[in-house]
Amino acid sequence: MKADTTNIAVSVEGVSKSFGSTKVLSDINFDVHEGEILVFLGASGSGKTTILRIISGLETPDSGRVIFHSRDVTGLPARERGTGVIFQSYALFPKMSVEKNIAYGLKLRRRPKKDVNQRVDELIGLVHLEDHRKKFPSQLSGGQQQRVAIARALAYEPEVLLFDEPFGALDAQIRTRLRHEIRLLLKKIKVPSIFITHDQEEALELGDRVAVLNAGQIEQIGTPYEVYMKPDTEFVATFLGAANVLSGVYKNGRFETGASAIELEEPISLDEGSRAKLVVRPEDVFLRRPENLQQHYQKLADGTIEEVSFVGAFERLLVNLNIGNGVTMVVTRPKTETAAFPFQGGESVSAGIVRFRVIPAESRMGGRENVDIVSVS
Amino acid sequence: MSANLSSVRHTRGYDIVKPLSITALLIFMLPLVLLPLSSIFIFGFSSGLQSFWAALTTPDAIFALKLSFVTSFWATVFNLVFGLFAAYVLARYSFWGRNAIIVLISIPTAIPTAVAGFALLLLWGPYGLLGRFLPADTQIMFTPYAIILANIFVTFPLAFGVIMPVLETMNRSLEEASATMGATRWQTFWHVTLPSLRGAIVGGALLTFARSVGEFGSTILVSGNLSGMTQTAPLYIFAKFNEGQVEAANAVAVVLAVFSFVIFSILFFARDWLETE
Repeated sequence: MKADTTNIAVSVEGVSKSFGSTKVLSDINFDVHEGEILVFLGASGSGKTTILRIISGLETPDSGRVIFHSRDVTGLPARERGTGVIFQSYALFPKMSVEKNIAYGLKLRRRPKKDVNQRVDELIGLVHLEDHRKKFPSQLSGGQQQRVAIARALAYEPEVLLFDEPFGALDAQIRTRLRHEIRLLLKKIKVPSIFITHDQEEALELGDRVAVLNAGQIEQIGTPYEVYMKPDTEFVATFLGAANVLSGVYKNGRFETGASAIELEEPISLDEGSRAKLVVRPEDVFLRRPENLQQHYQKLADGTIEEVSFVGAFERLLVNLNIGNGVTMVVTRPKTETAAFPFQGGESVSAGIVRFRVIPAESRMGGRENVDIVSVS
Repeated sequence: MSANLSSVRHTRGYDIVKPLSITALLIFMLPLVLLPLSSIFIFGFSSGLQSFWAALTTPDAIFALKLSFVTSFWATVFNLVFGLFAAYVLARYSFWGRNAIIVLISIPTAIPTAVAGFALLLLWGPYGLLGRFLPADTQIMFTPYAIILANIFVTFPLAFGVIMPVLETMNRSLEEASATMGATRWQTFWHVTLPSLRGAIVGGALLTFARSVGEFGSTILVSGNLSGMTQTAPLYIFAKFNEGQVEAANAVAVVLAVFSFVIFSILFFARDWLETE
């Protein structure tokens, strides 16, 4: 990671922060590359807002450093850092028109009036607010306000843009559209950006990389594909999408649970005989009649269908597998599967898996036995 | 009774309680508020505009009105600046004793004005706790400065009370946004905080001013009530009435009443305008 430092716009190194006796962040490390979008995904209380506030200078870390383009800014107050923060409520100045909001940062920097006007025109064009430039924030829709907030932050050419749950205040439908628009805009202007959100779909769609935050620690940073398909921890697996988690033992290059043994597809750094967990997404489990399970599925176990429910785009089944005293697993199937292999409650099936992940059992969520079912959203 | 009335409504489909209760409301208000107010005007203009004008333009009456407005103006300026400062400090910082200070600032509301005036006399009077150290030619009491001091004391919490809640409920991220965009504390206060307080500042000022202009209880104690020197408009009304010059008293009363209507109208109708744009 240290190899290519020229490309790094923002570094956070070993940042920790406590409020009173509550540890909010512990030893946070990450880089944001030039033009990259990094999304912090975490539940409320995971410390994600504090990360943003520490980068912007609104909060000082107890230890660690914040670096913008190899310049240590840890000791600088917010106003000398020049980050562009897009607040959740947008925080547009209510008594200023759209134009004046956008010009504010430039006027503070005492730019000549001509330059200010020119830059404001440019930005209003960029975010398509030509018809609204004289309006006040209260006269704009949520999406328009957000665009003003972005233009306002871009005006003074910040080194990094920081988005604090920018879609939180919007309707679900508008949210999806704006997400797409913002991503296009950011890819066009190439300003490195950090988002925070608790919405996994948003994180996967927006981010070039996603950092999953849990209780003040980064569980995993990676591309959306990596964090979804190759979760490092049980938390990441269950927080991003739904996952079935089975406890077992790692032996002879295989994951063993009950009578089943699954061949690992890639090597894993686990001691022989140590406890491990198998993580399988509901959509990666395939159900067949026991005699029909094909070669390219690894057989997990036989079992009985407990429940079949139709959930719109797909079918969801609960299957009781013959592992130990019986383990219930969630399976989702697209229409092509349900048509080819229809099942009803009570039928006997074999469960095969195609993609899965084996992780050490001592992840911090540990202590739970056998299987966890996380509802499919 | 109420059962009867509601059954009337249900059988006839008409709510008789509504016109009855509105009429009752007006009947209550008539002798309590409406009649006293209108009598000022009825009496004031009963012997013609000319005599009203003559009564109003006597040097003493003009002086009393001027003195009231000037002393109120300075009290308002002081309390506005102080109220803004106090509200900012108390809304932005939490510290030990914060609530005690809020109570302290608000106490003058609960103190009878005569007590306030008396307390000022005990402090600043010629034999008062501090007043005794003042040279004889710079005594504060029984001068217009005493009136300003009394007005400040009596209206102390008003501007603060209007500004403080607005500051407290103001979105903190406005100020934070300003800081991240490069503003100093002072720039943020000037460009972001203050504009958001515009309505509260105007409202607080009007309230303070109106209350000061009408102040009687404390003023009569600290001013000395010297006609043409330290006699404010309310004192003038009282003095003239005591002297039996009801017309003179009434002319000034009309001015004060009209003034309070104007202030009230601004507070009532212009608030929305001030709040938005």
